[in-house]
Amino acid sequence: MKLALLTERFYDLVAPDIPNEWDLEEVLEFLIDESDPTCEAILGHIPIIWPVSHSLCLDFLRLLPKTLEHLSLEQIPRWIGITLDHYETDGLRTAQRFMQDDIEQYLSKLKGCGGLSFTSIEKRLLPYIRGIARNDLQIGQAGTSYTDTTSIYVPEELSFSTNNDNNFLLYKYILTFQWGFIACGSFINKAPSEFSHIECDKDTLWLRSFFAGFEEPLLARDIYHSLESIRVQSFLSRELPGLIRAAGTYIFPRFASSITEHPLQALQQTLLTTNANQSRLLDHYLSKKECTQYLLGQASAYDSIKNSVKIFSRIHQTNSEYIPISPLPFQGILKLRAVETARKIREQQMGEQFVDMMAAYLLTLSKKELDILHKQDSGNKGLAESDISMIMDSEFAQTADREKETPILVTINNEQLKLPAELEELTKNFLDEFGHLPTHFCSSAAGKAGQAMIEQDVAGQTEKSSQQTGTLLYDEWDYRRQGYRKNWCSLHFKNLPPVYSPFIQNTLDKYHGLTIRLRHQFEMMRNQERFVKRQREGDDIDFDALVESISDSHAGISASDRLFIRLQRDERDIAVLFLVDMSNSTTGWVNNALKESLVLMAEALEVLGDRYGIYGFSGMRRSRCELFHVKHLSESYGEQVKGRICSIVPREYTRMGAPIRHATSILKEIDAKVRLIITLTDGKPEDYDDYKGKYAIEDTRHALLEAKTADIHPFCITIDHQAKDYMQHMYGPANYIFIDNIRKLPLRIPEIYRVLTS
Amino acid sequence: MRPVKTRLEEHLITEEPYYLASGREIEIAISAHKNCLPLLLKGPTGCGKTRFMQFLAWKLKRPLITVSCHDDLSTSDLVGRFLIRSGEAVWTDGPLTLAVRAGAICYLDEIVEARKDTTVVIHPLADDRRELPMEKLGELLLAPPEFMISVSYNPGYQSVLKDLKPSTRQRFVAISFDYPSPEMEAEIVCREGGVDKKLADSLVKLAGMTRSLKESGLAEGASTRLLIQTGQLVRDGIDIHTACRAALIEPLSDDPELLAALQEMVSSIF
Repeated sequence: MKLALLTERFYDLVAPDIPNEWDLEEVLEFLIDESDPTCEAILGHIPIIWPVSHSLCLDFLRLLPKTLEHLSLEQIPRWIGITLDHYETDGLRTAQRFMQDDIEQYLSKLKGCGGLSFTSIEKRLLPYIRGIARNDLQIGQAGTSYTDTTSIYVPEELSFSTNNDNNFLLYKYILTFQWGFIACGSFINKAPSEFSHIECDKDTLWLRSFFAGFEEPLLARDIYHSLESIRVQSFLSRELPGLIRAAGTYIFPRFASSITEHPLQALQQTLLTTNANQSRLLDHYLSKKECTQYLLGQASAYDSIKNSVKIFSRIHQTNSEYIPISPLPFQGILKLRAVETARKIREQQMGEQFVDMMAAYLLTLSKKELDILHKQDSGNKGLAESDISMIMDSEFAQTADREKETPILVTINNEQLKLPAELEELTKNFLDEFGHLPTHFCSSAAGKAGQAMIEQDVAGQTEKSSQQTGTLLYDEWDYRRQGYRKNWCSLHFKNLPPVYSPFIQNTLDKYHGLTIRLRHQFEMMRNQERFVKRQREGDDIDFDALVESISDSHAGISASDRLFIRLQRDERDIAVLFLVDMSNSTTGWVNNALKESLVLMAEALEVLGDRYGIYGFSGMRRSRCELFHVKHLSESYGEQVKGRICSIVPREYTRMGAPIRHATSILKEIDAKVRLIITLTDGKPEDYDDYKGKYAIEDTRHALLEAKTADIHPFCITIDHQAKDYMQHMYGPANYIFIDNIRKLPLRIPEIYRVLTS
Repeated sequence: MRPVKTRLEEHLITEEPYYLASGREIEIAISAHKNCLPLLLKGPTGCGKTRFMQFLAWKLKRPLITVSCHDDLSTSDLVGRFLIRSGEAVWTDGPLTLAVRAGAICYLDEIVEARKDTTVVIHPLADDRRELPMEKLGELLLAPPEFMISVSYNPGYQSVLKDLKPSTRQRFVAISFDYPSPEMEAEIVCREGGVDKKLADSLVKLAGMTRSLKESGLAEGASTRLLIQTGQLVRDGIDIHTACRAALIEPLSDDPELLAALQEMVSSIF
């Protein structure tokens, strides 16, 4: 192909972007000698990479001659897929490095001799460990395995055996073992009574201060780690005997040979042997009774603390420096700083939640209660911030007695206040995990409550002047005051300028098979044919009705003339609005996947004949929430609409309340049996101003409740990993779905729609 | 009416069905029956709704007439119709009428599967009128105090077309069912599945793990019924891995990755 032709094709493919011609000529030059089909095949990848990253796309072309030395044309798409995965997870640099340097490694993996990469089995192991742990543990990748109690980190690749089944088993064992540390409470933070003299500041894990007190902290840490590993293993052998059995057959023998002379490694060896041998090995370090405790799973983390001190004094040699022994792969390492960080994050999240809830609670207190509380009869005119601060100048009573399950009370000016159940539970959880409730929480809550009061006043004054033409004002729900902020959010209607690009055609080509299948499936839905009995006219005689009619006439009742069966097509009477999140976070693949889903959905709905509208939403601050028109309910799916789908691009923030309220108001006017609002989003509702956290979730939830009240069914399709925490609360248990693989989005959405409406 | 009698006897439960109460549901149901109130049972599949109804019927010594609802169920199917018998038109009661006449308990299982126009027929029965209009016979049948109507559904289904109308819903005393606590569930599996306590405990543990996978794409976790069925296979000599695969994992999902993850759980536990 000639260079000019190649460049022209390239411009076509990436329109409306206009890349630099010099750059293009440089990277396209090598294609001149290639045959036309090869050129076309290679150019066919451009629309996939270009929207994700322009520079990655140019790099792809630049490196292509080298790549083609190793890979055939058929292998390229999969390779691009992996490159884009790298881009999505670790950014441009990693993706470039992968393209440039890792081809050979990639090839050896293709041939199945490069060990097992975690990415290839993550989909299997993530649900596995979440099921085992019964919570939302995350899995990350790191050089050595460890856990920070929120995530478990495993090596990127394992090649300890030539058989990948064994590598898989080791991955599984690593994950389960690390979870064991969490389940067994190895990361203790409360000093046992004998060790209460060890000082520890509140940001440091007590365990770390404990190790720091030793002459050789690393040795102390490793002794404790080994003892805890024994405890974890005995816990696992009771909980998951099948796993231990398999590990005993396929994993342990492999590592048993690498044991050397260090006294600690004898402790490690107990992890690789059977029960009888275990007690023999442990005998060197622990008394008979302690051995039994460990092997029967009756020991606690505190026993390990005590025994660590004992063993340390026995094996520590003052004259030689301790060189840390290498842990077994499944044991991993203790990363106490990581645990501290994870803990801090959790503390902060729970703290924010507490402050929000406390502030909300303060705002619900009646004036009378407040009067009693601050005992200042100075003619209250609402709560000013200073008043609340004074009220909250208090401390939590009875925190020391919390184990006795006494209700938690707040003492304010000697008046005790019982906390609502939800807040009480949160406080208890917080105290259980962190041991104390910082006093600044209370003042923050007071501050927040006070600010909300002031905002209410200010809002009232400024509202009148903020009306603009061409916009609609919507209320927003403020959970703290359990009421609406009137005309709080202005929703601007904007038109998306249609963009004519090959995106639609490419999508249709890309999902060619799927589109045909979808059409077929949706056609089947349209033709929901069934035989209707008891008709006045029809194709066949309804025998039941005939018999009945004869018997009726025998019984002296006037006989029915509805004696026929007719084949009837069920009429679908559904109106649906799609609200598409156009927030900034959808940049890249997400936005692309959303658009592709819309194209497939629109194609399928055209076949089905359901009425549907598409709107995008974004915006910044309450004064500029934007709703972008893509397709009205009554509009036909033509070039204009297609162009507007193409021009959906990430913009600003996600203020969900107003768009949902607007969609509700549109659907309220529509006469349909079933009315649906389907939101496609990638995360929580959030705006630049204070529209975030609980406020945003509660407002969105309220907007959805309003929709439900109007007999409109809201449904949400999300790709946010944290969706569980708030989705159920916002949409209700069966009204949302989480899709973990963005690539599957275009496939899943029509499927969900089908299930939802049939 | 002789034939009716024979038919009713079949519905009388004479042996106490095994049911382990997890809350005050028995008290509530008995009180509802005493006060002539209809009952709505909701909960995930296989958690014991139907068994509870059998137990209640046994406890109240009333026959239990169960109708499994489907979208072709017509009002005549419930109320009754004329049939020709030896040249004569004979009225035959439907299950609902039969239950009303006999003061039995009529249990409409999976009521949301029935078309909305069919479910409306129970409205006059389910409020304080307690009457069943039979248009064909020109009769208005009054329900005796012993009669009880009870419906069940699973709120976990996502189709918006399959939801109860508020007008139907708001006639019932509703009891929400969920899977029993692990100890109780193990006891149930032990007893119904005929397996030992240790195996039952492990099966319950496995079920708990599957139930926490809702966010990972599993529509519903393993039900108590599935655990019992797995236990029964094991009791008959099928090895535990095969039994779990056949009776517990495969019925839960078709997604190969989820199936693999579930299989890994099984191989870890057993």
